[in-house]
Amino acid sequence: MNTKPESQSLAAWVEETREGIDSGRFPVRAFNDQAVYDLEQERLFSKTWCFLAHESEIPHPGDYVTRYIGNNNLIVARDEHGEIHANLNMCRHRGNVMCKAEMGNASHFRCSYHGWTYKNSGELVGVPYMKEGYEGRLKRKDWGLVGVRVDSYEGLVFGCLDPEAPPLDEYLGGFQFYLDLYLKHGLGGVEVHGPPDHWIADTDWKICTENFAGDGYHTPVAHQWGFHLGYFPSSGSTHSQGWAVSIPGKGHGIGLGHGPNFPPFGGFPDDLVAEMKQSLSPEQVEVFSRTRTAVGSVFPNLSFLMQPFSLEPGEIGVRFVTMRLYHPVGPGRMEMYSWCLVPKNASQEYKKEAYRAYTLAFGQAGTFEQDDFENWTKVTQAAGMTMVRDVDFPYIMGMDSAPDPEFPGPGHAVVPYVNDTNFRNLWSRWADYLAGEV
Amino acid sequence: MGEQPVDRDTASEIQEFMFREALALDERRFRDWLAMLTDDIRYEAPLRVIREGLAVWDLSPTSRIFDDDRQTLEVRIQRLETDFAWAEQPPSQTRHFVTNVLADPGDNPDEYEVRSNCLIYRSRGTSPTPSLYSLSRKDVVRRTEDGWRLARRWAAFDQALINAHNLSILI
Repeated sequence: MNTKPESQSLAAWVEETREGIDSGRFPVRAFNDQAVYDLEQERLFSKTWCFLAHESEIPHPGDYVTRYIGNNNLIVARDEHGEIHANLNMCRHRGNVMCKAEMGNASHFRCSYHGWTYKNSGELVGVPYMKEGYEGRLKRKDWGLVGVRVDSYEGLVFGCLDPEAPPLDEYLGGFQFYLDLYLKHGLGGVEVHGPPDHWIADTDWKICTENFAGDGYHTPVAHQWGFHLGYFPSSGSTHSQGWAVSIPGKGHGIGLGHGPNFPPFGGFPDDLVAEMKQSLSPEQVEVFSRTRTAVGSVFPNLSFLMQPFSLEPGEIGVRFVTMRLYHPVGPGRMEMYSWCLVPKNASQEYKKEAYRAYTLAFGQAGTFEQDDFENWTKVTQAAGMTMVRDVDFPYIMGMDSAPDPEFPGPGHAVVPYVNDTNFRNLWSRWADYLAGEV
Repeated sequence: MGEQPVDRDTASEIQEFMFREALALDERRFRDWLAMLTDDIRYEAPLRVIREGLAVWDLSPTSRIFDDDRQTLEVRIQRLETDFAWAEQPPSQTRHFVTNVLADPGDNPDEYEVRSNCLIYRSRGTSPTPSLYSLSRKDVVRRTEDGWRLARRWAAFDQALINAHNLSILI
């Protein structure tokens, strides 16, 4: 037996974990443990850029949604000038929640306890009995809602609790090249099809992040039904083809699965392909035109998936894009947010078709989604068992893969698509945060 | 109000049809269940969103949990018939409690709009904690030469944040 984590300090366990990742080992315990969860809240979610909302969810002045960074509930609102703000959903006076709805439109938020009122930008504007009660001692400008840094990329709005953290651009560190695959669908970009599905599961958020950082390995087994009945445009024997790309030192990763004889940009309507060739760079076109399935994670808990899905066995069908956020709500427990992104410039008919494919495959009743969560809840359950506290998982696939020198995109690109390189990069970044090194 | 808009025999037949349809699902007789649907079935569950009381909608006009027609329901059933539908291996135990069934004349002569409440108890494996789904349904049933058929299922979940790791059952 190895050293027992319970007799070890958490710091020593984190250090040992960091060293283990380099040699392709990762502890099962990380996926369901109160101490690890607490440390993530303290050191990870307080420092990373976390996804808040897509701009198309709040298109008009006053539109807002309530979202989370770690355990912090935030109001993400577009002010009267069109600027987006994220503020803690808590009245500065006595801490009542300002906004109990998930979304809506409001020029002001008024606390239902003592009536303090804020503009949707977070600025305090109204204090009842201001003159009589506070006798001039309360300066409204000192008591606005607690704000959070906000920045965006191609419609994705992120927030960061750490004022010292590097800007979003640097945080994404080149992964923008791959995000464009999901976001630059035609010259108009993408929009959400509607509010996100959300549901709660006894699953650790990290299992989902890992899976979407490019786990092509699970597909032919976990989603065998799709291959078996011909609804999925690849086969078990060719499924390993493609690239796994990670951004070293940043944690982001993407799997780009290829299909032999797969037509360039197959499953997209022709007019959209023509526009994509203008919105994407020649390097991006070279990489993406061959891509059948693209599954990627932005560290720490935002993911994307794009794939064609057909209701006619053997046909290529229609491409759909899903964006998902894994909001941790406890050790081994998370709230899932899942959106469908559709090209803004596409026909209503295509948007509808893409959305139906998404719902059937990856909504909460989605036929692929169902099996993922069945597996992930069981993994999480296992990770909570006492006997596995000292047990590691092997992350040694592609340990010696050299980067493909011909690959035109940024990052570390390896073949085949079935590879653990992205995951080692992901866990190594995660461990750096937990060690307090970021 | 107070007057029964659909005659008692018809109302009673519709209620029995609703119960038999639920029974087919609970007994996992999915092919029998498919046979109870019209070819032009629409099977929808809109997404519930928590909004302020005066909001225009709280059931999303665009987002759906189920957004199916005959073809996609066939895909769901075909999937369950493979050995790889892991979400239902072993199968969930479900019980549909259908109550407050009210039939009203529909838009077409042979169609009736049927409102009902549906509470679904779902247990998985040895877990002592079941999932409970409460739904309000506005279905359309059609009288055909071969008997009653479900032409539309519209069901709204009473919870916005669904407390279940997936929805691998039918509603």
